Amino acid sequence: MTTFKPLTPLMHSVYIAENDLRQSFKSVRHVVWSLLFPIFMMFTFSFRYGAIGPDPQFLSFLVPGVVGMTAMFGSINETMSIVWDKSLGVFDRILAAPVSSTSIIVGKTMAGAVMGFISSFVLLIIGYLLFGVSFPNIGLVLLVIVLASFSFTGIGTIISGLASEPREAMMLSNLLRFPMMFLGGVFFPVESMPMPLPYIARALPLTYATEGLRAVMSGNLAVVLFDAAVLVAYTAGTMLVGSTTLMKIMTR
Amino acid sequence: MPSENAIEVSNLTKYYGKLLAVDHINFTVEGRELFGLLGPNGAGKTTTIRMICGMLRPTSGTIVVSGFDVSQKPEEVKRKIGLVPDISNLFGELSARINLEFMGKLYGLDKKTRRERIDQVLELFQLKERENDLVKFYSKGMHRRLTIAAALIHQPEILIMDEPTSGLDPQTARLVREIIFDLNKEGRTVLLTTHQIDEADRLCQRVGIIDHGQLIALKTPEELKNSTGSQRALEIRIMNGIDQQKWLPILSKAEGVDHVFLAEGKIRVLSKDLPETIPTVVNLVSKNGGKIENISVAQPTLEDAFINLTGKTIREEPLSKEDNLRRRLSRSGMR
Repeated sequence: MTTFKPLTPLMHSVYIAENDLRQSFKSVRHVVWSLLFPIFMMFTFSFRYGAIGPDPQFLSFLVPGVVGMTAMFGSINETMSIVWDKSLGVFDRILAAPVSSTSIIVGKTMAGAVMGFISSFVLLIIGYLLFGVSFPNIGLVLLVIVLASFSFTGIGTIISGLASEPREAMMLSNLLRFPMMFLGGVFFPVESMPMPLPYIARALPLTYATEGLRAVMSGNLAVVLFDAAVLVAYTAGTMLVGSTTLMKIMTR
Repeated sequence: MPSENAIEVSNLTKYYGKLLAVDHINFTVEGRELFGLLGPNGAGKTTTIRMICGMLRPTSGTIVVSGFDVSQKPEEVKRKIGLVPDISNLFGELSARINLEFMGKLYGLDKKTRRERIDQVLELFQLKERENDLVKFYSKGMHRRLTIAAALIHQPEILIMDEPTSGLDPQTARLVREIIFDLNKEGRTVLLTTHQIDEADRLCQRVGIIDHGQLIALKTPEELKNSTGSQRALEIRIMNGIDQQKWLPILSKAEGVDHVFLAEGKIRVLSKDLPETIPTVVNLVSKNGGKIENISVAQPTLEDAFINLTGKTIREEPLSKEDNLRRRLSRSGMR
């Protein structure tokens, strides 16, 4: 009766991602709230060193940084919805359906990446409209954003696998995100950090995302490609760890 | 290969760490049967169900559903089963229709079939008018109806329901029982769990009594009632007995009394030798300053059988530490 369709597992992932995003985008209010934080950060830091008004040179440093940071917040948040799903019991609904564990993980990852991409893209536009910061090569920018978003979903799945309830997930994610935000080259250049902070910064995916975005601006293609490669490696690594921890709780 | 039996559970065992949640359970649910697992909270019912549905891996033992081994063909098994969990786990931020759409997609229904089935179940459960409302605004009864509807979207052969009427008001509970009865009459196998004795009695064709992770009896409700043997029941009401409860420890010490408990506001005394027990009980009451308002010999109930088998009433509180842990673990989803 049921004919085998090779695309079925992928379609399951798409449905799960669609369902997740549908909930996230359900209310405009929800979307606006989640974007206010990076927008405020961008505003706050646009005033620098007590100078009157934003400093244009610093703005072209700040905007790519905040765009990368937004990708991080968006995609980790979205992937962490697994923990909420678990606590509300809706995750059971998916577990009871004829869907493979891999499809579930891929679906959640897709949702996270899409969320990271969309929210950072919105910040990109806001950065352009408010501060006039534009990127010369939009294709490359989108590539870096997509790769960055994927690299952060892995962190989201790791948190989802470790946390047993939403509050724990929030604490864990803040523990990771806030240091990453300040060390990942969003507001301060990594090169200007005192030792040994640059070493820590070099271990964070956000550093490569922000560096990659700035390299697109300065037209340094070699750096862009290097950062893209690091982000791909990061995605593979965190997704491997994340799916292992998640798989463990799904097939207990 | 299709088999006659809908669900075959053999030697099913589950440990949560060191805690034994389900202890070598064996039972078979026949095709088209309405089968109930009766037991107190924390007995291991939910854990058993989660293992049958392929959501939890057994420590040992096998489960075969419609001829498919759950551990080898989990997705085939999941396709055959519709699960109604004890808490309504729908997506509150989405409408009823979108919730059902999502389920239909996960079960691989095409667009046309989805639309047909969704219209059908919404109609059946009288949710059509509210189909576009967010589920979080639904009442408890509507939640439960939609949860059942969602489990039927792929027209499963087997319906598994965890405490389908718990927490519902009496009218809604009755409605849900009628729904279950009808679904079974249509030819669906139903496995349900309950901690309500009268529900098991009225609804189920066969009842398995489960306690501390063990299946201690499996019979029809009638057989269970008759299993009390020569034991008879006595119903007593004591005058001014605002607190009938306090008589329980007094009466339980009387000679010839097997069990004493409260049922529907009356004291129920189980004894194998009523002619001897009646005077003893009457004397004991008057000696303790009570007057008997009403005393009568009663028909055996399923609760009598339950007490004989487990040594306690089903609503006895509080839960033991172990049962409570078992309950928490089975309900916490995954951890």
